Amino acid sequence: MGDSEHPEKTGESVPDASWPENGDQWSDKGEEEDDECELLQEMAEEDEEIDLYNEETFGLDEATSGDNPAADPMDLLLLCSDNSPTPQSSPPPPPISPSPHSSHSPSRPGSRVWPHTPTGRPQRGRAGRGQLFDDPAVVKTVEGRPSLKSLDSAIVDCSLSSYWEDLNSNTWMMAPQKSSRPPVASILQDQAIVGVIDRSRHGRVPPVSPNFLSPMRPFSTSRGRRGPPFVGSFNQRCHYQPGGFLSPSRPPLSTPMPHTPKLMHLQFGTDSPRPAPFYSPSTNIMQGFRAPGPVAQFHPQHKRLLSQRQQRPHRKPVSWDPYSQIMTDKEKEWIIRLQMIQLQSKNPHLDDYYYQEYYQRIEAKLAEEEILGDRLKKEPPKLTTPYVTKALSYIPVVHIEGSLGQVAVSTCFSPRRAIDAVHANTSDEHRDTRRQRLEVLSTIEKLYIVLLEVEEANKMKATVSDKDEERRLMQNIKRKVDQLYNELRCTNLLDSGEEFISCLLISKGKSMLARLLPFLSPDASLHILSVVTKNLPVLMSKDTDEALPVLYPSLRAVIDRLAFSQLIRNLKEFTATLPDSKDTRLTLACQNKFGLSLLYALLSQGERLLSSDLPMEPSIGDFETWTDTVFHVARQLSQTTLVEPLLLPSNLLTLFCRYLDKRTVHQLKNNMESATGYLAVAS
Amino acid sequence: MNYMPGTASLIEDIDKKHLVLLRDGRTLIGILRSIDQFANLVLHQTVERIHVGKKFGDIPRGIFVVRGENVVLLGEVDLDKEYDQILQRVSIEEILEEQRTEQQAKQESERLKLQAVKERGLSIPKADTLDDF
Repeated sequence: MGDSEHPEKTGESVPDASWPENGDQWSDKGEEEDDECELLQEMAEEDEEIDLYNEETFGLDEATSGDNPAADPMDLLLLCSDNSPTPQSSPPPPPISPSPHSSHSPSRPGSRVWPHTPTGRPQRGRAGRGQLFDDPAVVKTVEGRPSLKSLDSAIVDCSLSSYWEDLNSNTWMMAPQKSSRPPVASILQDQAIVGVIDRSRHGRVPPVSPNFLSPMRPFSTSRGRRGPPFVGSFNQRCHYQPGGFLSPSRPPLSTPMPHTPKLMHLQFGTDSPRPAPFYSPSTNIMQGFRAPGPVAQFHPQHKRLLSQRQQRPHRKPVSWDPYSQIMTDKEKEWIIRLQMIQLQSKNPHLDDYYYQEYYQRIEAKLAEEEILGDRLKKEPPKLTTPYVTKALSYIPVVHIEGSLGQVAVSTCFSPRRAIDAVHANTSDEHRDTRRQRLEVLSTIEKLYIVLLEVEEANKMKATVSDKDEERRLMQNIKRKVDQLYNELRCTNLLDSGEEFISCLLISKGKSMLARLLPFLSPDASLHILSVVTKNLPVLMSKDTDEALPVLYPSLRAVIDRLAFSQLIRNLKEFTATLPDSKDTRLTLACQNKFGLSLLYALLSQGERLLSSDLPMEPSIGDFETWTDTVFHVARQLSQTTLVEPLLLPSNLLTLFCRYLDKRTVHQLKNNMESATGYLAVAS
Repeated sequence: MNYMPGTASLIEDIDKKHLVLLRDGRTLIGILRSIDQFANLVLHQTVERIHVGKKFGDIPRGIFVVRGENVVLLGEVDLDKEYDQILQRVSIEEILEEQRTEQQAKQESERLKLQAVKERGLSIPKADTLDDF
């Protein structure tokens, strides 16, 4: 403590009343800080270690430097009270380096006044302190020691004095702990108190309020005046690096960086409130220090502690960036862990498809390169997330036997179960169809999952090498495909007796069938083709979304595998007149993209079969039907305006050339071309 | 050190200068100091950069804490190329003035457009009633 302060200090005293008066302020803030308790406990443990060391070091000092009551920071408090410091026989270990005290040892600690302590309390020792802190508000403040400590370490940017306005000075003082620990030790370690001591040393009169922080405001100026600020937590510095006291040539870092990862963790923990940048009182204290004296020699244990604590933060050279370790490795790990949890999945190929695909391609490329070049295969870093076990399925509805109704079960998925409301029905005639459509739709959607599994298994089958596995997969696929086939065929809308129609009328069903077709057996796929052809008018007329074309590729594949007689059977459908209208499917198909494309596909397949050398096994009457159909189609096509098909097979004109005269062919060609906009190439 | 290969993580961007584009259109340039699982950012020595045409101006802002959901994108600033740009740096007052002018011109053109549209009997829904998602 500076001697210079004493003359100024002697006169001042904080009126007794002021402190307890504002005690209610403190207690108000008290409740907010409860959650800091755990953090504070941690810090307390840490401090105990430090205290032990300090006691050894500084307790000795105190003994040696006889009339240095300042060695016991506890005394500081009471010094003011009684103005006659006496050495403590059994001082609680001072949290701050006693070196300042020892440095001021030839001092009049007695004359130093603790501005915040009530005057006129002659008692020293615990009793006195106890008295001092009998005031519950005071106790609360004192207990707030750890928070102060954490804040001490949490200095962000002291250079901006504008932050002072923002500081809620009460908050960092108010950290009541549930335990009723004697505040004795805490006081000593209370940075604020130490800070006030320091302040008093500097001759600044602290305002008469328990608001420790506002007196801190002048610190900024003092700091500027005094020179380089002290970097790091005061506590640490005092304990660990007294050398720092000696070296004001430390770069003027405006933000004291917390050293220990632990402290940093504490200060940046999610539940620790952080006020705005807080200027550490430590700086001033440091600035006032003279030669540390006996503290220059580190206790070996201390040295060890120091080296341990200092190893971890120094990952990369950070001397050029004083703010570089704001986010500790621990915090980074925490975030990484959190993100990893989010990435866990039972089926990464499903959940994280793009990443898996990408990685597979990279691996494939590397493997290729390895084969080509003989270079060392660099394993690209892969993120391996652990598989999670299936979460227990929750039961949203609990039905107790014998009870009426259901019990509402709240889970994280459904915190509030909705009341099962019965909605008023719309008009009757639409209701049934709509409901059935919805039912079919829900069936389709449930089956989609099965379809996805089929596709997934199929893909895996291609990659897996084990024969058993492959067989198993195939069985799996077949089973699911059968299930799909049977389910889709059974979904019947009220007014249709045909299989598959109900799902074909829904766009989702169409796309689903399109995806299912490649997996079906030839018979099954043929069946579907015939169903489609037979019901083409209905499908075309009800295809408001124009989703039919989605079926085309799959059906085309089916058609391409058709035998002649099967083909003929399907073609016959086109020319037959419909039961309830004059039109044929043919005429209707001409007006529909899908229908026309289907027709073209069939014709093309027929032509291919005929012109190929493969032996056909036509049934009786096939060829006649074929020729008839061709004529019929040709006539129709030349007469009506055609829409643009999805795909115009190239061998159609060849087909027509074979059977028709030149004029008709020419007309046909023009008609088709005008529709498509490109030439129907004749071979 | 690659903490999480194959993922998008901001861990490696810490302590590097970044340009952050916010949803309200602001551009911030600062050193990324801290992040969390929501990609909330702590930017240090932040500067708000206003671009008007080929000019830009910087307003020093200090420390920013940005809520993750308000970030459109962010990217590391290449310190070598940072000053190597066609854009011309001007004073804050000038850029604010330019911005004001640009805003006025835009409003004027909008007004004219709206008037023209109204004259023809059409109507355009105002974008401010829509959500900005």
